[in-house]
Amino acid sequence: MSLDTATPAGSSAGTPARQPSPSAVTKADIAAAGATRRRNAAKWKLIVGTICTLLVIIPIILAQVLPLPDANFQDLGARRLPPFTDGHLFGTDQLGRDLLSRVLHGGQVSLTIGLLAVLVSGAIGIILGAAAGYFGGWVDTVVSRVLEAQMSLPLLMMLLLVVALFGPSIPVITFVIAIAQWPEVARLTRSMVLVEREKPYVSAARILGLHRIQILIQHIIPNVIKQATLVVLLLLAQAVLLESALSFLGAGPQRPFATWGRIISDGQDYITTSWWMVTLPGLVIVLMVVGVNLLGDGLRDRPRRKKKGA
Amino acid sequence: MTNYILKRLGQGLLTVFLTVSTVFILIRMAPGDPAVSYAGPLATSEQLAAVREQFGLDRPVLEQYWIFLQQLITGNLGQSYSFQAPAMQVVAERMPYTLTLAAAAILLTAVVAIPLGVWMSRRPDTGREFGVNVLTIAGQSMPDFWTGIMLLTGFAVLIPIFPASGFATWGGLVLPTITIAILQIALISRMVRREMTANFAAPYLTVARSRGVKNSVLTWRYAMGNSAIPVFTALGTRFAAMLNGVVVVEVVFAWPGVGSLIVRALETRDYPLIQATVLLTALLAVGVQLLIDLAYPLLDPRVRLGKAATA
Repeated sequence: MSLDTATPAGSSAGTPARQPSPSAVTKADIAAAGATRRRNAAKWKLIVGTICTLLVIIPIILAQVLPLPDANFQDLGARRLPPFTDGHLFGTDQLGRDLLSRVLHGGQVSLTIGLLAVLVSGAIGIILGAAAGYFGGWVDTVVSRVLEAQMSLPLLMMLLLVVALFGPSIPVITFVIAIAQWPEVARLTRSMVLVEREKPYVSAARILGLHRIQILIQHIIPNVIKQATLVVLLLLAQAVLLESALSFLGAGPQRPFATWGRIISDGQDYITTSWWMVTLPGLVIVLMVVGVNLLGDGLRDRPRRKKKGA
Repeated sequence: MTNYILKRLGQGLLTVFLTVSTVFILIRMAPGDPAVSYAGPLATSEQLAAVREQFGLDRPVLEQYWIFLQQLITGNLGQSYSFQAPAMQVVAERMPYTLTLAAAAILLTAVVAIPLGVWMSRRPDTGREFGVNVLTIAGQSMPDFWTGIMLLTGFAVLIPIFPASGFATWGGLVLPTITIAILQIALISRMVRREMTANFAAPYLTVARSRGVKNSVLTWRYAMGNSAIPVFTALGTRFAAMLNGVVVVEVVFAWPGVGSLIVRALETRDYPLIQATVLLTALLAVGVQLLIDLAYPLLDPRVRLGKAATA
């Protein structure tokens, strides 16, 4: 709009009303440009990611409301029914339980664990990462050392160990996944804070007499939190996968409902005769994790237009 | 150089020591009694006490830790409860299987992921590249146990090309390797793409191109030369991580490696076996990490060991 209105009215008097653009760049060129294609790709990732995620999450949230049989109700007369029989959309398992109901109720447990774990690891990671980046010195040394040590640890083995020793309850599993994931957030936050603390506004705040902790919390963290939460979204995908791997190995929660990995490991023995017991729960996991990953990718690649208005 | 290696060795050994100590504490803190799982649920309390005494579990924890430290130095972590053999020996027998699987998987990953990532970075944001990009997202979104079962059903049961489990023939290596590699290829190829894209945008590459350097040389000598360190590091770190037992895949394919061993050791609360597994895998992982660092000067002559600035 700025170009059109800025043109002096007099100069266009002699030329046709519709002046051809002075630039050789046509609309087709712009559409084919890398930046445009990148923006479109990000847009599609966001759209498809949202659809995939919602396709899984909405039924999971509504599991109690939907007209489904109880997830733990056994009907030995209706064992291993294929999908779409007798109102069992996903079929039934070896004990005649409705597979869709099991997947949705198990999904509630998986998702709760995933969300809680991500919240905890996000909080730990941001606090420790910011402290390490801002204060430096021995704080940085300690945090960085712990990060490094955990990188070289046998991760899944340690998780299994803790769960096997302390029992597969929801708090233990949540805690274990959170501990497994905080380094990633911490490392990113640390590197961003390192950049941020050299900026003039930090010196300004210090001259104004703000306490160091106040500067960190009120000024630096708000500037890095957006990107840090983006990573947290990607961690949610990993948390769901990690939880399903644990429960596949028998280290998942049993009550109130078996989670996805457990459902798949239950179905493993019947794979040749009843393909749906493994395939369908697996596809649900893939759909959901692909959705979350696409969302995270799309949000990261999205051009940041808001900067202009701010 | 020697100083650097010694310093890194010291750090590595410290990490290993802290790891095994953490595991020692965790095991003792946890509820559950190995004597019960050893002697069975029907054992009398006298039998249980005898078992505890035999394994030294009746002594104070600090004394147990002292004994454990002495065992660490001699490298003999005691008898495995369930295998009736030295724990280190049991783990060492399983190690080659895990090593074979990890090496095969990382080889397949490197062979597929590097060209794939380069291809993606040469044609960024085209329709086909977008398609491949989405495929890699799918690859990193599939739970490996599920992929494993699917491959197993497809290519061992329905179309019996490969053996379903174990490591009787080399064919048995194919399916577990592919299962592991799918995730790794997805991660590494995306990383290669990111690194290469950044290098293609760098001024030195524009200069080289304007001087008429051939495209293939630009890609493989210039851009790849500068992407080599991060890519190599990522591959090495992934390999080190796999040595800790590709637990899930080993369980799915009944692979006789360390991963399936640890699952069994945990179930039976076989303390010496758990500790031996953790010790050996941590040692190997730290060793591989050190080798990766030592290889940096080979990949990039600008790197001088010991003088590397910590960015």
